[in-house]
Amino acid sequence: MSKVIDAGMSDELAAREDMIVCRGVKKWFGDFQALRGVDLTVKDREVMVVLGPSGSGKSTLIRCINRLEVHQEGDIIVDGVELSNDVRNIDKIRSEVGMVFQQFNLFPHLTVLDNVTLAPIWVRKRPKAEAEATAMQLLERVGIPEQAAKFPGQLSGGQQQRVAIARSLAMEPKIMLFDEPTSALDPEMISEVLDVMKGLAQSGMTMVCVTHEMGFAREVADRIVFMESGDVVEIGTPEHFFTNPTEDRTKLFLSQIL
Amino acid sequence: MTDITMPPPVDELAPEPPPSGPVVWARENLFSSWGNALQTFFFLFISWQILSWLLGKLVAEERNWDAVLTNSRTFFTFNYPLEQFARMWFSLGALIVAVGITLIAFGFEPRVRTSKIVQSTIGLGAAVAVIGVLTPVSGSWRLGLIAVGVAIGVVAWLAGRALPDGQTLPFWSLLVGFAVFVMVLVWIVPWGQNEFLDGEYIDEPGTVNITTKQPWTVMMGLLLGSFFGARALARVVPRRILQLAMIVWWVMGPAFLLFLVLRDPAFDWGYVLAVDIPIALAFGLGGGALLYWLTEPVRGEIARIVGALLLGTAALTWILAFFGVVSMLQKIRLSILFLALFALAAATFAGERSVRLRYAGIWMGFVALTHWLITGINTPSTLDIAAPPFIGGFALTLTIAYYVMLASFPIGALMALARTSTLPIFRILSTTYIEVVRGIPLITVLFFFSIMVPLFLPGEMELSELAAIFIGYTLFSGAYMAENIRGGLQSIRKGQFEAADALGLTTAQRTAFIVLPQALRVSIPNLVGQAIATFKETSLIAIVGGFDLLRVGNQTVASQPAFLGQSLTALFFVSFVYWVFAYSMSRASRSLEEKLGVGSR
Amino acid sequence: MATTHASQQRPPLWRDAGVLKWVVQIIVLVLVIGVFWFLSTVAADSLAAGGIEVDYDWLDGPANIQLSEGISTVPATMWEALRSAASNTLRVAIAGIFAATILGTVIGLARLSTNWVAQKAASVYIETLRNIPVLVLILLAAAILGSLPDLEGPEEGATDTRFWFDISKRGLALPRVFYADGFYQFLALMAVFSVGIVFARRQLQAKQDREGGDHKVGLKVAGITLVAAVIAWFANPVMGFLGSVFGGLSDAWGSIPRPAMQLVLSALAIGAAALFIKNFLDSRRTPAGLAKLTDDDYFRMIFAGVGALIACVMIWVVVPGLIGDLFVDGLRDLIQWFADKFGNGRGNRPIDAMRPTLSTGRFANYGPEGLTMTPFFAALFFGLVLYTASFIAEIVRGGVLAVPKGQTEAAAALGLSRMQSLRKVILPQAFRVIMPPLGNQYLNITKNTSLAIAVGMSDLVQIGQTIYNKNNQTLAVFGLFMAFYLTCSLTISFIVNNINRRLAIVER
Ligand SMILES: Nc1ncnc2c1ncn2[C@@H]1O[C@H](COP(=O)(O)OP(=O)(O)O)[C@@H](O)[C@H]1O
Ligand SMILES: [Mg+2]
Repeated sequence: MSKVIDAGMSDELAAREDMIVCRGVKKWFGDFQALRGVDLTVKDREVMVVLGPSGSGKSTLIRCINRLEVHQEGDIIVDGVELSNDVRNIDKIRSEVGMVFQQFNLFPHLTVLDNVTLAPIWVRKRPKAEAEATAMQLLERVGIPEQAAKFPGQLSGGQQQRVAIARSLAMEPKIMLFDEPTSALDPEMISEVLDVMKGLAQSGMTMVCVTHEMGFAREVADRIVFMESGDVVEIGTPEHFFTNPTEDRTKLFLSQIL
Repeated sequence: MTDITMPPPVDELAPEPPPSGPVVWARENLFSSWGNALQTFFFLFISWQILSWLLGKLVAEERNWDAVLTNSRTFFTFNYPLEQFARMWFSLGALIVAVGITLIAFGFEPRVRTSKIVQSTIGLGAAVAVIGVLTPVSGSWRLGLIAVGVAIGVVAWLAGRALPDGQTLPFWSLLVGFAVFVMVLVWIVPWGQNEFLDGEYIDEPGTVNITTKQPWTVMMGLLLGSFFGARALARVVPRRILQLAMIVWWVMGPAFLLFLVLRDPAFDWGYVLAVDIPIALAFGLGGGALLYWLTEPVRGEIARIVGALLLGTAALTWILAFFGVVSMLQKIRLSILFLALFALAAATFAGERSVRLRYAGIWMGFVALTHWLITGINTPSTLDIAAPPFIGGFALTLTIAYYVMLASFPIGALMALARTSTLPIFRILSTTYIEVVRGIPLITVLFFFSIMVPLFLPGEMELSELAAIFIGYTLFSGAYMAENIRGGLQSIRKGQFEAADALGLTTAQRTAFIVLPQALRVSIPNLVGQAIATFKETSLIAIVGGFDLLRVGNQTVASQPAFLGQSLTALFFVSFVYWVFAYSMSRASRSLEEKLGVGSR
Repeated sequence: MATTHASQQRPPLWRDAGVLKWVVQIIVLVLVIGVFWFLSTVAADSLAAGGIEVDYDWLDGPANIQLSEGISTVPATMWEALRSAASNTLRVAIAGIFAATILGTVIGLARLSTNWVAQKAASVYIETLRNIPVLVLILLAAAILGSLPDLEGPEEGATDTRFWFDISKRGLALPRVFYADGFYQFLALMAVFSVGIVFARRQLQAKQDREGGDHKVGLKVAGITLVAAVIAWFANPVMGFLGSVFGGLSDAWGSIPRPAMQLVLSALAIGAAALFIKNFLDSRRTPAGLAKLTDDDYFRMIFAGVGALIACVMIWVVVPGLIGDLFVDGLRDLIQWFADKFGNGRGNRPIDAMRPTLSTGRFANYGPEGLTMTPFFAALFFGLVLYTASFIAEIVRGGVLAVPKGQTEAAAALGLSRMQSLRKVILPQAFRVIMPPLGNQYLNITKNTSLAIAVGMSDLVQIGQTIYNKNNQTLAVFGLFMAFYLTCSLTISFIVNNINRRLAIVER
């Protein structure tokens, strides 16, 4: 495990509570090691952007955080609850951590409204009317209330991704995970999704975003994490990252992508 | 921006279409090359030989088609007593009405192109003419057939020329056409009056008996009436409700007809009032209250514990009964079992007041239906039938096919889920089951169950042979069903599972709300295919002792003194009936597939 | 901070997802076994109440059964009766598979033809036959055969039939082509020659690859093979010595002591489990050492161990006798069977043919010289073939249509001739689509032979039923049914999978 370069964070951020703590997280697929002992702390209301070349383990890391993948060594503690085999904890974390996928993964056989209300009704046990009212508010927030009765297949990619965000928000999560939410979108649709994410960040949501949108990272992120081959290489504020990155590998990556 | 006005594009004339006409057509399609011409002659010769041989068999002297005409009732209902036949008609009427409403509820009203009708009619005319040419009959018959065929073809062709291109007809005109066709068959065509009267064989010229004419007229009226009635209804009632009602009807309705109309139980009302109704009430209300309480979201774990306890109790009642310690009505045990399953699912379906009320309501409806059916089945029939079963012939074929499909569905779904699950023991168990069952012939399964089920049953329990066969067939069919559903399950992308997990849905919720609905939609074409196969394979119950359509044709009819040795005649008719049904089912499934857009993409 | 207490603590057992998962599975497994145990006890009790014990001793008992046809129509023992019946089943199945494949392929291709008559005739055939139940077709065939005229034999003595082919109420007669005495020697000699043929093929291929051009390798190899076959046809008695070799082998195998066999088998079971565990651990090994094993992994390994243990208990305690009978005596008999096939006095023509004859008497019938199908066999055969061919036709058509049009166009663009593009591009791809459903149809034919009972042909199921009606050994007989049909289906899927794998390689 190589040494992590931690360029620190603002004092204000440091004073906040820990929301996600990863300690020495290791993960193997068969005999391929995808995470090599990740140490990471995400603070309350922080926006953290994860960068790194393809295959560096970004997706694997955030999928471990809501246990879509099971890590094999190390601890992950989300909002004070440890991710372990305890069924009660798994349920709790799943309903407190929202996730947005690259491929949207909307349920094609349900209308947009049903997509958004499904989990509140059956997991949170909300009354249907209340769930629908909340859903309509959320759809308004992401800017597509008029599409509520349509099926996902009838929407554009950007609209679908916004529905997916609304669907996660409907569970009133404390944390939102984004796995390359704009990578499957046509260029002209990217900004509509990023705008929603910016709004979300301003409202004080704790967010972990895997994205290659540097503009977004510079503008919104509290801290940026750079990963390579399953290791966290460098952590720091956007200024640190874009003005004087320390590691050669980070420099190389940034020079390629900017 | 500057506006640039372009000159409108000028259409060039398309080149002249190549010349057409029968001669050109024949040259292109029949004699384009030496090989092609050879094919034409070869297949013409073979078809000619086979068809004229087969038609010869159909009109041969020893064929006595009166065997079919006289026995039409036997073919379709076997021994069902004539004086009770109104019930048969009632049931058929109910089914026809349901078909009419279902067509509307699911929006099946395709428009039909007139050109297609004209084409089929010309084809029909050609077929009649060809039959006239090929059949070894007397000259006048032959000329008559050819003339009729040519006339049909020419009239249809002229009509096709007269009609404008691309015209379509609404679906109801086909229905009306069908009704008119049936009316012509029963009121005008001189089939002759054939029947057995008190064992005496009667054969008189004329159209069919009035006892056939009247009910069929009513049936056609019902078909049209229900179709147009449902159309009017659909303007008032939302489609979703109609669809739900029809699904419930198709699951429950046939059982209702079977046990409470066709068989008509002889209720001992004193017993029903004193025992059956109190038990049903106790379970319905008590269970309903329990479930209402359990589905409150805060109960969570308690519902599971109660469910598990009830499950244990249900198991215990059977085990104790086996050792002869406690005896109780079978339906009480079953009800405890069902209540346990409902309680186990309670946490999954917990929610607000209206959701809980609905859940309790579903339970009460379920109790009412099951207890009603169990009471009905357990009560002796008022029907006095010479030889059981009370239903036979084609009606039995359809009933068995229908219920086997219905009952094997949950088995298939469960096995498919187990086979695709991540839990290795479930996977091994279901794979073994599926592969073993698919490796052995149906007939051995049916034999096994008809012989062994009585041995496997503990002590005092009894089961009719037909029921045992039905169980075997259902278990057999379940394995094939599982494979068909598995195909659908495997088509669901991983992202769907992950999204459901990320939202915090439980495994049961994920399966019920996300996975199964999508998988079943994909499997529909395969399931229809299986329905057709099941329908055809019901003929095997003729071997193990059921009086289905095939057995009636092959045995019953052929052993009547008046029609001794007419089994080939009866078999021709039997194959025709099977063919009509299987063929129309496969046609219907093809249009359904096109409608759902599966398979074409 | 809220997170300081966290550690790698295990949750309580009843909330541990890993444990819960396995507990549920084991409960279900126990339940399934319990239900089976319960049912079988009940059945055994009911059987015992009727004075029946389930065993296979009756197999050696006298049969008193008459078969409609087969190796022996009046078998001495039950075992012989069942064997003869099973061979009837296999005969129908194999003959049916060949005939249905040929007929189905012809009809499927006809439906694809540009010729209008061929297309329509094939469509009508398919749409008619596949919508009539196969059992109805079989009964129809039986009834039609029954309506044919009867045979008229000569007054006295046997004569040849009028033609090489004859059909009547009594069935169907064809010339019989059969393995004569020299067949196995012939095969053995061909096996020896095949080494040389393969070698020659390699050489020729290498030459063509070196020099380019078309050296007609296939044609030359076919020629060499033909020559080899002709030589082997006459020279086959050379291989007679194999008889004594196999005889010696058989004796040697038979003298293996049973405990040794048991020891070897249990060593195999334990070895398999150990290998599984080792491979499993290897798959979890990482460059950084052994990855952390999950509970799942431990459960898997425990299950492998328990499996091996159960196998050993079976071998040493539960069925030690069966092991000896099956592995020592059974294999010894098998080798001895080969020895007999090569034994002294055999040799001569490998294959021979005879013309069908008519026997005399009041009830004229076909003589044993020709290949005769009884009317029962013929009805079953035609019913199965006509029905299954309609499905095979659709499969063939679907397979050819499944090859995208772009493939044909690409082949044409490369300048391949129509024949070449068919041979090298279209067919290999079509076969891959055709093979799996075709295998399913072969399986269906095999299973549907059990409908023989409807027309009174003595197949396995019919004879089995006759037997259990006599001696009430229903469970035992059904056990044999299962074993037979499962073996058949496993064999067919094995063959089909193998062919499929070959084709996949050809395609690459
Ligand atoms: N389910 C899996 N099975 C095997 N290997 C996987 C699986 N998922 C991811 N990997 C491997 O883990 C590595 C990290 O993957 P991922 O986290 O998706 O990278 P990123 O999101 O940074 O592009 C990759 O090399 C990938 O091939
Ligand atoms: Mg990724």
